[in-house]
Amino acid sequence: MGTTGLFGRGLFKAATGAVSTLILSAAMSASAFAEDTKEILGQPTDKAMGWQLPGSALKVKTENFYDFGLFPLITFICLLVLVLLAWIVIRYNKKANPVPAKFSHNTLIEIVWTVVPVLILVVVAIYSLSLLRDYNDMPKPDVVVKATGNQWFWTYDYPELGVTDIESRLREDAKDLKTAKAAGIPYLLEVDNVLVVPVNRVVHVQTTAADVIHSFTVPAFGFKIDAVPGRLNNTWFKADKVGTYYGQCSELCGKDHAYMPIEIKVVSDAEFDAFIIKQGGKTRAMLASEATASAAAAEEAAASAAVTASAEASASAAAPAADAATPATASASAAPAVTPASAAVAP
Amino acid sequence: MAHHGVKHDYHIINPSPWPLMGSASAVVWALGMVVGMRGLFGIAKGEWWLMLTGLALIILTMVFWWRDVIKESKAGDHTPVVQIGLRYGMIMFIASEVMFFVSFFWIFFEMALFHGQRSGAMCGIQEVCEAWSKWPPEGVETLDAWHLPLVNTLLLLTSGTTVTWAHHALQQGDRKGAIQGLLLTVILGALFTLVQGFEYMEVLHEHNFHFFLFPDAAGATGAANLYGSAFFMATGFHGFHVLIGTIFLIVCLLRAINGDFTPKKHFGFEAAAWYWHFVDVVWLFLFAFIYVIFGRSH
Amino acid sequence: MSSTATSHDHADADHDHKPGFLDRWVFTTNHKDIGTLYLLFAIFAGIVGGAFSGLIRWELFEPGLQVFAKGSMLDSMGIFDLSNPDHAKHAYNSIVTAHAVIMIFFMVMPAMIGGFGNWFVPIMIGSPDMAFPRLNNISFWMLIASWILLCTSIFTPSGPGGEHGFAGGWTMYPPMSSHIGSPGPAMDLVILSFHLAGASSILGAINFITTIFNMRAPGMTLHRMPLFAWSVLVTAFLLLLSLPVLAGAITMLLTDRNFGTAFFDPTGGGDPIMFQHLFWFFGHPEVYILILPGFGIISHIVSTFSKKPVFGYLAMAYAMVAIGFVGFIVWAHHMYTVGLSFDLRAYFVLATMVIAVPTGVKVFSWIATMWGGSIEFKTPMLWAIGFIFLFTVGGVTGVVLSNAAVDYSLQDTYYVVAHFHYVLSLGAVFSIFAGFYYWFEKMYGVKYNEFLGNLHFWIMFVGVNLIFFPQHFLGLQGMPRRYVDYPTGFTYWNQMSSIGYAITIVGVIVFLVMFVEALIVRRKGVANPWGEGATTLEWTLSSPPPYHQFSELPVIKDEDEHH
Ligand code: HEA
Ligand code: HEA
Ligand code: CUA
Ligand SMILES: [Cu+2]
Repeated sequence: MGTTGLFGRGLFKAATGAVSTLILSAAMSASAFAEDTKEILGQPTDKAMGWQLPGSALKVKTENFYDFGLFPLITFICLLVLVLLAWIVIRYNKKANPVPAKFSHNTLIEIVWTVVPVLILVVVAIYSLSLLRDYNDMPKPDVVVKATGNQWFWTYDYPELGVTDIESRLREDAKDLKTAKAAGIPYLLEVDNVLVVPVNRVVHVQTTAADVIHSFTVPAFGFKIDAVPGRLNNTWFKADKVGTYYGQCSELCGKDHAYMPIEIKVVSDAEFDAFIIKQGGKTRAMLASEATASAAAAEEAAASAAVTASAEASASAAAPAADAATPATASASAAPAVTPASAAVAP
Repeated sequence: MAHHGVKHDYHIINPSPWPLMGSASAVVWALGMVVGMRGLFGIAKGEWWLMLTGLALIILTMVFWWRDVIKESKAGDHTPVVQIGLRYGMIMFIASEVMFFVSFFWIFFEMALFHGQRSGAMCGIQEVCEAWSKWPPEGVETLDAWHLPLVNTLLLLTSGTTVTWAHHALQQGDRKGAIQGLLLTVILGALFTLVQGFEYMEVLHEHNFHFFLFPDAAGATGAANLYGSAFFMATGFHGFHVLIGTIFLIVCLLRAINGDFTPKKHFGFEAAAWYWHFVDVVWLFLFAFIYVIFGRSH
Repeated sequence: MSSTATSHDHADADHDHKPGFLDRWVFTTNHKDIGTLYLLFAIFAGIVGGAFSGLIRWELFEPGLQVFAKGSMLDSMGIFDLSNPDHAKHAYNSIVTAHAVIMIFFMVMPAMIGGFGNWFVPIMIGSPDMAFPRLNNISFWMLIASWILLCTSIFTPSGPGGEHGFAGGWTMYPPMSSHIGSPGPAMDLVILSFHLAGASSILGAINFITTIFNMRAPGMTLHRMPLFAWSVLVTAFLLLLSLPVLAGAITMLLTDRNFGTAFFDPTGGGDPIMFQHLFWFFGHPEVYILILPGFGIISHIVSTFSKKPVFGYLAMAYAMVAIGFVGFIVWAHHMYTVGLSFDLRAYFVLATMVIAVPTGVKVFSWIATMWGGSIEFKTPMLWAIGFIFLFTVGGVTGVVLSNAAVDYSLQDTYYVVAHFHYVLSLGAVFSIFAGFYYWFEKMYGVKYNEFLGNLHFWIMFVGVNLIFFPQHFLGLQGMPRRYVDYPTGFTYWNQMSSIGYAITIVGVIVFLVMFVEALIVRRKGVANPWGEGATTLEWTLSSPPPYHQFSELPVIKDEDEHH
């Protein structure tokens, strides 16, 4: 539906019908890959004419801005120009109008076609900037992930959770059309180690690169952020639904630029915690309880120090107490954000 | 020289081989640069003879070309309207040169003004950011503006006055005065280059700029930093322009001695003077920003 | 005016004197001959660039590696080394890069500015030649010098594995273009090639500005000057002020690569993003350099075939000035995803949108020029109408991209590729063809075949739309650009796009046939084939014009309407 015509009706439907088309076709492709239970929600659909299915509230907003704001607007402008041209061809050709008019000025119409576009653009700009604010004002993170671009793979860290250096590469069998088909995985998209994030949680994405510039993006979530050597960039997303979402490196980075996809698996909180533990990290709950435990230990130590009331004893106990207190406060404040992430995208 | 039947004062130029020769020389020079820098066509890196050949050919082209221009000028082809055209041409050329320097100043200001932000939240390499979180960055010793740079400022400013002196003398028909003024200007320009040479030696030996013009003996490029790069690029390109300006003035000096200029017609000289003033103004910006304002710690 | 059409001799030239071959085509100082050299070179470069885009479209016809792979037809031609898969993938990016550079620097700019600009700016302002004819010649030969370097680079080692040809895109971002991404000498050749092309264009710009300011015929005030001359004037200023910044940027890139500086190297405190600022400070004005002369050409054609004066002449001229000016302060809309601050992004959103207003003035004024006219749909007019519509399509998708929040989803996807081909391949190129047909008879003194011209238009029109319209869909679906291969979900529209290319190339062949046919059959041209609507000075001269026109300068009065 809506995918056959190139112009005209098909184009119009692309605006209004894109979402439903995509739901359908995504559902179809999801069932095609039903080999494991993984549900692919974010990937390209053949013959589709619109956006990928949105995977976050912010992307829904972006798509709506386009589908119901920008797209009708630009279609209208193009059609206006087309209709005017068509009218000229019909009405002002040599046969229909043998004697040309001679006018070359009309102040009123000139003012109109200057002012009206200005007004239209003001409206567009107001909405555009408010959407930009939504992208820019990052809510406090539940999870921070760091993606480092390398020629030609990604490495993922969870800096707060003690998980580092997950190397994520295009799977061997996804590099060939036949083997990919046999394995039931999407060609050029499936990776060996996926990036796992919890559903309905604010995820901050920090990016940087080890060699040349790469760009980290997942169309379904509507973010794209360059991974630049020497810089740490930030963006965020919040996935709506459990499932698998694909993206592809989006800055030319050399011969295998087309071969370093991004796969994000959105899971429940419990599955996420299990994943972190399996990777040798600590969940937020663990970190929090450790923090309270060590804070309690510090208190205890301080109390016992007070009881002994001996000068040397107090000195020896105070040292570990101070030691213990530092990570406690640190992780308490780090829970909402590691330091760099707390700043909004810096200038 | 008005031709039979031509009723305008524009200068219709005869076909000339120099453009083709200039372009061919440019190809030789460019290929020579790549050979020298990288090695190409089986010629080893570090062989600069091809580049030097190209450079020599370019200079030769310029000599031939401008000799023709001078000939044409003497033949009376440079009518008043043609002279106005030459003026426009020179102004536009200088405007493009200004934009060339804009790119270097852009980098310098980006570094000097925004080093704080860049080493803040968006820092990707911890050690680098720490070094660059203050001004001057760690490991960088800025130069004392009130030392050699001041001397150079005074040299250039003085040369601005001597070139004006020469101009007035020319307009008055005082050939001797013009020659004296020009000679002084050339000497001041040469002095500037000398002083800058000294300054560079000093910088390279004593200041910690971490910038090496050529890879070190092991073939690895020395640890470079942005400050040294920006400093040498901006002052170096300026120095290069001083050299060109000086040569331009020397040519004018020779032409003045030769009696090419008249009180009414001496655009070649004026162009050199404009160029010289442009070089002068760029220096004032360099002096103000690189040496005075961002020469100190903040 | 026709009295001025007689040529008068100059120097050693008597009435019909034409210099010998070398003097005429190599050492030439004649603006029309230099213009012809530029045009022929542009056609040649267009064919090479078009062939390269053919390799791109062929490769992208379906998923998997077909062309840039061992044993492919391209491999068997032995031009590129494709036996090693790494080299083959690299070769794709290197071809994309070369395609862009050739189309922009060696096809569109030479055709519009070097070709039509040289031919018609002097004539339109009533001048016998350019201000600096010898400089004009070196502008052309420097372009050839630059071309030689670029071609050498394609066959020179570049990548870390010794792959040939620079493959970092026409934007040349470091570290892809620094010694990290491209350690071989190919990039140095590209840099020096850009230096020479830049020098060529800067000298050309100086020449045009001086010519237009200093050599207008008596009475030809700026406010009576034809719009094409206006467009070249604005373009020349953009060139003059933006190219040196690129020259500075690539000079720093060169020293980073070879002399140990650290401008764009983060380990020394440098920043690759600084290159992007400098590049786009040049790059955005550059895209207007590519289209403004086209605007000028379209204005003349629309007015000529409607037999009406240009509507809102002054607004048309100053709209171009406004576009040129605003074009300098919007560069970072190419950099929304690099990590700029909110304020900067917001500023660039607003500034970029502003450009739609003067551009809209132009589009609507063209329509108003036609309105009430008595229009003949000769070939140039078809291209002009095609241009107006397709440029609008490309322009409005630019406005979509200017919204930073939307651009996050579209940056570096085929939506951008679609946008800029609509304004370039369907905008700039259409205006070049429009101008070529419009002035063909004037330049070469022979008539083109109207049927072949029409056929060329319709085939190209269908073809290029089929190439680039589906790319919007690919972009919305998220297909990244500069990809040698893609997931199966992008297959269908890529196939359509490649089929469109096959159609387009038939159109280009028809164009070449048209050209050759006209030169062989030699139907004698007349001074003004277009009739009363053609009012600018070139139509007062014979076709082709005398070797040196206006030995007696024309005097322009307001009633003459030479714009
Ligand atoms: C001829 C060349 C040309 C022209 C004229 C334009 C014109 C415009 N471009 Fe385009 N652009 C390119 C060539 C060009 N561009 C290229 C080559 C790239 C990619 C570079 C690369 O990365 O390789 C690019 C990329 C590009 C980007 C970056 C995309 C990305 O990488 O993410 C953006 C973003 O803002 C943009 C915007 C615009 C805008 C707003 C205009 C405006 O000037 C358009 C104005 C015109 C109109 C709007 C139509 C007519 C107007 C009306 C009918 C009036 C009514 C209209 C409204 C009220 C909206 N362009
Ligand atoms: C003027 C600029 C121009 C032109 C005309 C074209 C024309 C075409 N381009 Fe190009 N293209 C670019 C500029 C241009 N392109 C740029 C800047 C990029 C980005 C590169 C990068 O990522 O770095 C790009 C990238 C690009 C890609 C993306 C590659 C990728 O990202 O992997 C593709 C893919 O389909 C493509 C295809 C085509 C096709 C099929 C044509 C067809 O339209 C070609 C058909 C041929 C013609 C229309 C030429 C005919 C003209 C003449 C014969 C000369 C006539 C002259 C006179 C009459 C004087 N181009
Ligand atoms: Cu990594 Cu493209
Ligand atoms: Cu732009």
